[in-house]
Amino acid sequence: MKVGKPERLIVNGKRLDGRDFDEMREIKIKAGVLERADGSAYVEWGGNKILAACYGPREVHPKHLVKPDKALLRCIYSMAPFSVSDRKKPGPDRRSIEISKVTRQALEPVVFTRLFPRTAIDIFIEVLQASGGTRCAGITAASVALADAGIPMQDLVPACAAGKVDGEIVLDLFDLEDNYGEGDMPVAIIPRKKEVTLLQMDGKFTREEFEKAFKLAIKGCMYVYEKQKQALKERYE
Amino acid sequence: MERRIVLPGELVAEGNYRLGDGVYREGNKIYSSLLGLLDEKKGFIRVIPFTRKYIPKAGDFVIGKIIDIQFASWEVDINSPYRAILNVEDFREDLKPGQVDLSKFLSIGDVIFAVVKEITPSRRIYLSMRMNNSTVLRRGRLVEVTPSKIPRVIGKKKSMLLMIKREIGIKILVGQNGRIWLDGTQDKINLAVKVLRKIEKEAHTSGLTDRVKEMIRRERDRK
Repeated sequence: MKVGKPERLIVNGKRLDGRDFDEMREIKIKAGVLERADGSAYVEWGGNKILAACYGPREVHPKHLVKPDKALLRCIYSMAPFSVSDRKKPGPDRRSIEISKVTRQALEPVVFTRLFPRTAIDIFIEVLQASGGTRCAGITAASVALADAGIPMQDLVPACAAGKVDGEIVLDLFDLEDNYGEGDMPVAIIPRKKEVTLLQMDGKFTREEFEKAFKLAIKGCMYVYEKQKQALKERYE
Repeated sequence: MERRIVLPGELVAEGNYRLGDGVYREGNKIYSSLLGLLDEKKGFIRVIPFTRKYIPKAGDFVIGKIIDIQFASWEVDINSPYRAILNVEDFREDLKPGQVDLSKFLSIGDVIFAVVKEITPSRRIYLSMRMNNSTVLRRGRLVEVTPSKIPRVIGKKKSMLLMIKREIGIKILVGQNGRIWLDGTQDKINLAVKVLRKIEKEAHTSGLTDRVKEMIRRERDRK
């Protein structure tokens, strides 16, 4: 069902889905859901439903992509045709190619690729249902899948977005706010080192707004990080 | 001793330690890089992963499948990101490259028990079958478990492996690459597979050998 542009995105100090400005949607993460993948994760993040699978280290095909000194990290983000209200044409498009690339770049700094020269580590992110913030949920799932596959990494990578709607800085935008709001800023971090591995932004922010949104997004990431750790521990308890 | 579950990025120790697999150092602090169990004794620290791919080490016994025949060597799948090579002279001393048709000895699909002889810096893996216990496995059944569970299947001083062999009464060969070869009657093999699956699932719990022994006896008495 397609919802048109609402008159206002903030009513009586609450957002349209009833959340406060700094409130996250509900997040559920489960590790090790796919039998045939080396590692996998399923994330439900508000209305988002996302599967991530990780394979590797394994032989590289096609052969000419082999890196003699480290593993090749490959990410593919893809949305199912039924994941959005207007059917999405299957296959890669401009947007999913970009998200695949930023996901790879968000994860690459934490993976010890030099331990596995001449191999490939493949990550597939499949969006089954989308409702805003899928790239963050995708990175979150992918990083859990990597850890589940037993691939050495410095840390997990959580991601979360902040943005601006009706002039207010809010955490974790959902699809209406994403589509009709004034700005969106996804952030992924390496929590322990306090390093940023993904920072994108659309819309217009003043310097003060940017700083406020950035801090809020980091807070969101730390919340997601706890959920990731919990999911991995639960798998073996 | 109960081992602790650790996650990538978790602080596991500070100070002077010799580092094994699955940990890395940053300044004075040591962090885990894997999801697994922390193992620490006598200044040595490592993380045993719950699951991982097999990365060959020289001296490992592996069970491989022949996937291609070259002029003077076989290509072998050893359940690892890297393919292995078995040269003729490492198969039998008296054979020289180019003398014979290699498919007379091993053809595609054959399963071998061999040792990792050498790994070059460019990750070429060479196998050898000139050890006493190297064989071509023509009967039996092959099962796979995740390579990180192999030490548990063997047990301390081979306790688990010897116990399974004795209690069930079958032949078992264990490859470090996660492949296990079983030979006996169908009933015995089925029971052994069941046992291996149990070990795989409960590898991180303690007192496993006794529980497995109990399980074998129970299953045997039922018949």
